[in-house]
Amino acid sequence: MSRRAKSKHFVDRKLDGCRLSSAIPDICRTSDCCLGIDEAGRGPVLGPMVYGICFCPIDRKEDLKELKVADSKTLTEVERENLFQKLDEAKGFVGWALQILSPNTISTSMLQRTKYNLNALSHDAAIGLVQYALDCGVQLKEVFVDTVGPAEKYQDKLSQRFPGVEVTVRPKADSLFPIVSAASICAKVARDHAVNSWKFVEDLVDVDLEYGSGYPNDPKTKSWLQKYLDPVFGYPQFVRFSWSTTRTLLDDKAVAVHWDDDEEDGEKAAARMNCSSMLSYFAKGQSSARETHRFFSERRLQSLDTL
Amino acid sequence: MCVFYAVTSCVIVCEEGTQTSTEIRNVFRMSSNASVTTLQLGLVAQADRPPVHFLPCEILQDGPAEVSRYFTSAVKNRKHEMTVSFRGRGLKGQEVSCPHGYTGLVLKEDHKPASDQEDRTVRVSSVFHHFTYWNLETPPTSDDGVVMAMAWPELAEAIHGSVDD
Repeated sequence: MSRRAKSKHFVDRKLDGCRLSSAIPDICRTSDCCLGIDEAGRGPVLGPMVYGICFCPIDRKEDLKELKVADSKTLTEVERENLFQKLDEAKGFVGWALQILSPNTISTSMLQRTKYNLNALSHDAAIGLVQYALDCGVQLKEVFVDTVGPAEKYQDKLSQRFPGVEVTVRPKADSLFPIVSAASICAKVARDHAVNSWKFVEDLVDVDLEYGSGYPNDPKTKSWLQKYLDPVFGYPQFVRFSWSTTRTLLDDKAVAVHWDDDEEDGEKAAARMNCSSMLSYFAKGQSSARETHRFFSERRLQSLDTL
Repeated sequence: MCVFYAVTSCVIVCEEGTQTSTEIRNVFRMSSNASVTTLQLGLVAQADRPPVHFLPCEILQDGPAEVSRYFTSAVKNRKHEMTVSFRGRGLKGQEVSCPHGYTGLVLKEDHKPASDQEDRTVRVSSVFHHFTYWNLETPPTSDDGVVMAMAWPELAEAIHGSVDD
């Protein structure tokens, strides 16, 4: 596949939490394998978060080292692209898969009635990818992963979920284990492609694509967020609404929106629901119209004598 | 003519005149205390029919919004399920029709009265025969108040209508 075609491949399928993967090398189905997990785009207020796995036979670890993979954060975009190309060329013994969590998935999950936080979302993405490798027949014996939340708890969770697989959860795993570095490169390349060629579902014309790195403290990201704030809708789905940066901007500059499960304004909500003031009990008895029957109040029907 | 105040401060579901006329030039008046409110129905048949969305939240704005740019364009319709998000919250929707023989009216008051003694004039700014009803995270069902409300005219007819022997 040409690089351009590959890029299109990423763009077309990124929209709703999708999975991308290489073919499974035959050798991974017959010999014991190691697998690395890493993510890209956890911190930014814009764009998707990408989870990546990379796997190869344990006895080919040295061959992977020779590709000179390193932690994706220490590499330039071009270096990452080249390394991804090399990994793809090593398809005789290296396989990869990616889970792309769209910013809309992140927003709606984190803002769900029963909150689904980013750590849980991350754990589930990682577990889903390991399960995918197992389902494809990869003979998994070792899993290496950078920690999300407390390392021990995460290690226990993964070990219990995948008995028979030795799980190593380690901070900075992406610079310690080449198989994790390889996973981080796949994830970061996918995230870059998705962000650089984002196709807005909204009907926006001539969107300024200068949104910088997407990190909340990047001046370009900041000014982009200022420029594209809509007073009613807030932002396109490209922006993560669950980030405090976004919430602060919307609180300051957008119109207020109340949901029935808002916690912070219970009192105001009560006021809006017409809870009577104590004083009303002392008012002179002018018990107005008789109370509407439940049949009508449940259907929010009122007979109308004034607008 | 029978009028129900339905759901928000600006939406009324209104029974059409009994005689079928393409031009309903009606003026409808109601009074409370000292003031009279005039509802100008105008040319209902020729009024605008933009899509109407009913959201499960209160938006503290009364004015124009870029609905088609940000909202309609982002609606996904897949496997008989409509989904969208608003302010980062997931919504599931369903098309709901106005009761048979009824028309939905969106009303606009161009000049707010300064006091409740003053007469008011409200005009029809657009009409609708169906709307999209959105729930927070769960798909709408026939148990939702707004969906159930649409069955009332039929029930009312059964209760109050004339009985033939």
